[in-house]
Amino acid sequence: MIRKIWAIFRRDLKVNLKDSIALYILFIPILLAVLINLFTPGINETTVGLALLEGDNTSQVNYLEQFAEVELFKTVEQVQERVEERDATIGILPENDRYYLMTQGNEPEGIVDYAKIVNSFYELDITIEDTNSELFDFERTVPPFKKTLVNTMILLISILGGMLIALNIVEEKADNTLSAINLTPAGRLTFVLGKSVIGVLLSVIGTIALIVITGFGTVNLLQLLLVLLVTSLLSISVGFIQGLTSSDIMTAAGSIKILFLPLLAGVLAIEMLGDKWQKFFYWNPFYWAYKGNDLILSQSGTWGQIFMYSGIVLLISGIVYLFLAPKIRKGLE
Amino acid sequence: MISVKNLYHSYNKDGKYQVKDVSFEVANGEVFGFLGPSGAGKSTALNILTGLLPLQQGEVVVGGYDLKKVSNERFNKIGMSFEQSNVYSKLTAKENLDFYRKLFDVPTLDSHTLLKLVGLEGKEHVKAGEFSKGMKHRLTFARSMINNPEMWFLDEPTTGLDPSIAADIKDIIKEKNKEGVTVFLTTHNMFIADELCDRVAFIVDGEIKLIDSPKNLKLQYGDKLVEVEYIEKGEVIKTTLSTVLPEDKRELQKIIEHHDIQTMHTKEATLEEIFIKVTGRGLV
Ligand SMILES: Nc1ncnc2c1ncn2[C@@H]1O[C@H](COP(=O)(O)OP(=O)(O)OP(=O)(O)O)[C@@H](O)[C@H]1O
Ligand SMILES: [Mg+2]
Repeated sequence: MIRKIWAIFRRDLKVNLKDSIALYILFIPILLAVLINLFTPGINETTVGLALLEGDNTSQVNYLEQFAEVELFKTVEQVQERVEERDATIGILPENDRYYLMTQGNEPEGIVDYAKIVNSFYELDITIEDTNSELFDFERTVPPFKKTLVNTMILLISILGGMLIALNIVEEKADNTLSAINLTPAGRLTFVLGKSVIGVLLSVIGTIALIVITGFGTVNLLQLLLVLLVTSLLSISVGFIQGLTSSDIMTAAGSIKILFLPLLAGVLAIEMLGDKWQKFFYWNPFYWAYKGNDLILSQSGTWGQIFMYSGIVLLISGIVYLFLAPKIRKGLE
Repeated sequence: MISVKNLYHSYNKDGKYQVKDVSFEVANGEVFGFLGPSGAGKSTALNILTGLLPLQQGEVVVGGYDLKKVSNERFNKIGMSFEQSNVYSKLTAKENLDFYRKLFDVPTLDSHTLLKLVGLEGKEHVKAGEFSKGMKHRLTFARSMINNPEMWFLDEPTTGLDPSIAADIKDIIKEKNKEGVTVFLTTHNMFIADELCDRVAFIVDGEIKLIDSPKNLKLQYGDKLVEVEYIEKGEVIKTTLSTVLPEDKRELQKIIEHHDIQTMHTKEATLEEIFIKVTGRGLV
């Protein structure tokens, strides 16, 4: 069976490497990576934001500015408002003789730790000369916008995988070769798996290329792979359906676009909307995949969290698949 | 061996059957043909036997495999040449065959040998999309024997081909049959049926009207036809009549009594004439 799956994949690859639209799809991930690098600041710039109260704490401000971007506000309420915006800004507020951190709860752990450490350094009077290289490690905090882009592109690449599958199914339909395959001992499952390989590989290799080029190469690849695979299940099912129901390549490629909508909705919900809106997006597999990827990209995801998010994506994609499977089976007859 | 009992098929499941109560058996090593006009249900029946169409009603056993039980393994033993050629137009002739070979679990024939056999030597590296209709058909035909099938299904193997290619294909079929391959073919060409088939089934409107060998059919009907040319109202009229069927005998009597006969002789019936006699329908 493996041998036949491989043969089907090799055939697809051979055809795709000669086809301009397919080639274009195969190279989009690299194109995206290069574009992201062009338009976002480097990964090593500090963008940890700290919100402080204005007052006679000039030394503190000066000290912290060495390590982070500091914004000053007049009242505690204003600081709180700033912290509640959706980027990862952390408030440092006085209480008695000490300072405490005000967080929103959704900041990456690394950033919170970082803020804690700079704050205690200040309280302990550690000068920048005393600090060792460890502190600079913490400075490798990722610019949020770049992370958002990379995360969105990872999801987009999985959709491209579905698009490629749709193209290849349309080819089989146009040449009427499905009936010939149906009369070989390669069963339907073998065929479906064989046709899926190129989509999965595009999404895995494309994503790895993307994260390496954009500087996220050190993230936990196994975690990323897990989220990728469950997300691909959705794109692949949709790819099959679109391929089977479209009569030509352009319609197939075009109709895959219906996946862009939930993808964007999920990303925008997480990045722009407040907590009370989130529950309206729980049905959206891209929403959870994005959350999972976000933890992975900021290198703060535990396996428990990743399993949970992948599980949710798998569940939703699985339901979509169960719904589409009879149609796919019928289309392949 | 192929055994079919009371096979029915309705595409739209609307009570109208495109294949009605069809029963027959094909012995191992036999060439069996479905002869019938367009739309008779030949391809429908054949597609059920190969498994392309689901078995709705009836009992079908092909090469020892009951079609009610699903088994992909049986495809190792059967080959099918399609009525309409279906090959990957973006792959070359050789790539097409090489890919198909990998899908079987049994030893397969070398692509080059096959291409040579159907006269496509030298075209190995040409994309099938650039092939003429006849070349595509030959590639499809070549592909059907890639796994050395025991049961070979051929849907209109020579239709639309120029005579010399058709002759080549007939030779290949005869050759394979000599090697022991069981052949089931459909055609609306009486010459093919006559030349290739050990037995033919006449099929019209989804029903088998008769099954016999071409030789028997000719013995039965052959000498009993007369071709008459006579003059009626100043025009020469030509007709073929049976000397067995009562209404034909009466018609013949009338012609002899009332008209000037120009020529009259007995002749060997073609399969097509026999088809018309038996079914009341032509082959087109
Ligand atoms: N997919 C289909 N859906 C509905 N009806 C069909 C379908 N395919 C064939 N038919 C009908 O079934 C009948 C038999 O068709 P079939 O293709 O078996 O004929 P055939 O004997 O092979 O004809 P030909 O010599 O033209 O190939 C025809 O009336 C045809 O219109
Ligand atoms: Mg037909």
